[in-house]
Amino acid sequence: MGTIKAVFDYTLREHLRHKVWLGCALFGLVMVASALLASALARDERARVMLDLGLAANEAIALVSVVFLTVHLILQEVESRAVFLILTHPVKRSNYLLGRFLGTLAAVGLGMGAMGLAHWALLRLLGWPVEGSYLLAWSCSLAKIAIMGALSLFLSLALTSEAAAMSFSVFFWMLGHFSAEMRFLAQKSGNALLGAAITAFSHAAPDFAHFNYRDAWHAGVPDPGWALAAAVYALAYCGACLALAAQVFDQKEF
Amino acid sequence: MRPLAAAAAFAAAALASGAAMSARAREFPSLSELPATPFTLQDASLASFGLRAAAADLAWVQMLQYVGASLPGLPADRPGRPYDHLLTLALRVARLDPSFHRSYLYAAGILGWFRGVDRPEEAVALLQEGIRRDPGEPLYALYLAALAYKQKGETDRMIALLESAFEDPRTPSQMKTILANARKARGEYAQALALWERILETPRDQAQHARARLQIAQLKRLMHPASPLPSPPR
Amino acid sequence: MNALSFKHVGKMYRRSHLGRVSETVGLDGLDLDVRQGEVFGLLGLNGSGKTTAIKLLMGLHLPTKGAVSVLGRSVPDIEILARIGYAPEAAYLNRSLTGRENLRLFAALSRLPATGREERVTDMLKDVGLAHAADKRLSEYSKGMLQRASLAQALIHDPELIVMDEPVTGLDPLAIKEVRALILWLKGKGKTVLFSSHDISEVEKVCDRIGILSGGRLARVMAQDEWRGKPDALEDAFAASVKRTDGVGEIRLG
Repeated sequence: MGTIKAVFDYTLREHLRHKVWLGCALFGLVMVASALLASALARDERARVMLDLGLAANEAIALVSVVFLTVHLILQEVESRAVFLILTHPVKRSNYLLGRFLGTLAAVGLGMGAMGLAHWALLRLLGWPVEGSYLLAWSCSLAKIAIMGALSLFLSLALTSEAAAMSFSVFFWMLGHFSAEMRFLAQKSGNALLGAAITAFSHAAPDFAHFNYRDAWHAGVPDPGWALAAAVYALAYCGACLALAAQVFDQKEF
Repeated sequence: MRPLAAAAAFAAAALASGAAMSARAREFPSLSELPATPFTLQDASLASFGLRAAAADLAWVQMLQYVGASLPGLPADRPGRPYDHLLTLALRVARLDPSFHRSYLYAAGILGWFRGVDRPEEAVALLQEGIRRDPGEPLYALYLAALAYKQKGETDRMIALLESAFEDPRTPSQMKTILANARKARGEYAQALALWERILETPRDQAQHARARLQIAQLKRLMHPASPLPSPPR
Repeated sequence: MNALSFKHVGKMYRRSHLGRVSETVGLDGLDLDVRQGEVFGLLGLNGSGKTTAIKLLMGLHLPTKGAVSVLGRSVPDIEILARIGYAPEAAYLNRSLTGRENLRLFAALSRLPATGREERVTDMLKDVGLAHAADKRLSEYSKGMLQRASLAQALIHDPELIVMDEPVTGLDPLAIKEVRALILWLKGKGKTVLFSSHDISEVEKVCDRIGILSGGRLARVMAQDEWRGKPDALEDAFAASVKRTDGVGEIRLG
């Protein structure tokens, strides 16, 4: 636990000294622009458009940050050989990975929190009603970002090329939002083997289609059972990716 | 535990919880159900990046643009057939996000009640789609009933029914203006004035506030001919 | 008692590119024992296997055959790393952290108890002459300062065995003198020191014994009395023991 915390601390500090806050500044600009656009164009639905665009911008900026950071997270330390010194201390490689991952997630989460707070405050300031749970929508976005972080980390170690890892991460992000479509396609395919293959693929990709409270927000309050299952799903999917990353990392020589 | 064994255990937990999650989640219409428009690629791209609600918002803004003037990329309406593409554009919003209630009601309001449009069958089709997607939404049935009264010429009952939903937050401001204008056209200035005043008091109807001020002044002049003319909205 | 031992250790590097597999010998049946409390120097040309031997010792590489043991335990073993200090040939430290933060990190990773850890960090910074720059980021450090920070992390947990890879390469004469003094001070405290070097003159000044590596094998082991007071004895033994593996021929004059 102590070593995870030590790695977590330095990772968080490292990120906060580098790039994450640039994302927040960018978000500020996007949000102001979207607020202006929303009030000019959306008529009765200004609040809805402002809410959707704000949450979407928050998630998009967090996605770019988390994929970029996690893909470089270990490879850069291998490149700079900083990993030599860490791993020549009594640190389990899996603990090192976990500490690095959690530190990165915390940095991105802090950025998302700041963005979310600014967005929510702006909505309140404008007097636009926010019906539904902003916190739940924000938490779902954070969980999606955690899943993507764990997945990109695994891909960066399994593929070794940063460009390939980033491309596959974006591919999985899109595939994840198509999981419902893929299962629909599997049902309609008429070929049992093809159907099974598509279904298996849809389960291997993260199921973001059923996770996206941000998109389902306007449909009303979700079933509490859904929220619980979604939380377990996020933890389990992250756990599986991190365990696979640890398996690959254990085999590596430096 | 070895990493591979841990990965297998986590994967099993993800499969089980994923099944429970998807069984309880709200399903969206398949993207293949989107009506064919020049904007299909835009919609599919946004949806595939997890921005379905934002895609619906953009489709809503484009629909407003179409209603207000014209929408670049869309073929022009046939001569004498205004709002030729409105049903398609409204269905596009609805199928991107079936819970976009105001979009159904707004488009149905134009198709069913706008002077010179006269497409009640399209309004009915749209509202029926709304009921199919969201059977618990009472306003769709209420609008269908109001349309039926309109078809039968029972204007009093139609107005009374629509006014019962006047304060509902989902009622589009444009529908409220239709109602106020209907009162005015019937010479019911006091009732029309009351409706415009309610529009002016509702922050959500801000898009109609300038128009409401103008109408209130006009109605006051009609009711009391000595009152001064208002300055036009800036 | 031996502090570390290599028994018939082989290390083969396999690289695969476009379906073609190439193999390079890192170590080829290395047998070597280093006694507790001695200063042992590994001498050899580039590619002779010095760094490979050290990386096997530190668990950064895994042997293809044979066994390595350190302080009575087979490696790789995370627990044993708490008793070893490692200073690589360059300071592979995180440049976005300060000197103090870096040292704090390695103190935590080395499992130093939390109580007294901060004092130990402060003392160590003083010991290596970095007290004045403790709160500066490493990106502002000179090469000499980085080398000191690297030594500090290797010694922060008071290890029994100190492993240094090319500790004097690239240092100025004053810094070389300081490293020499440090090695002798560690020996005085009963620590075992293993270091690798190209520099024969440096090795003969501080080592109790040396091992000459050539082509991944131990070509010769010499004790201090074999070179002390005998000018050029070590250089002659080295020249006789090694053969070039880099494909470069001898310089022939006249």
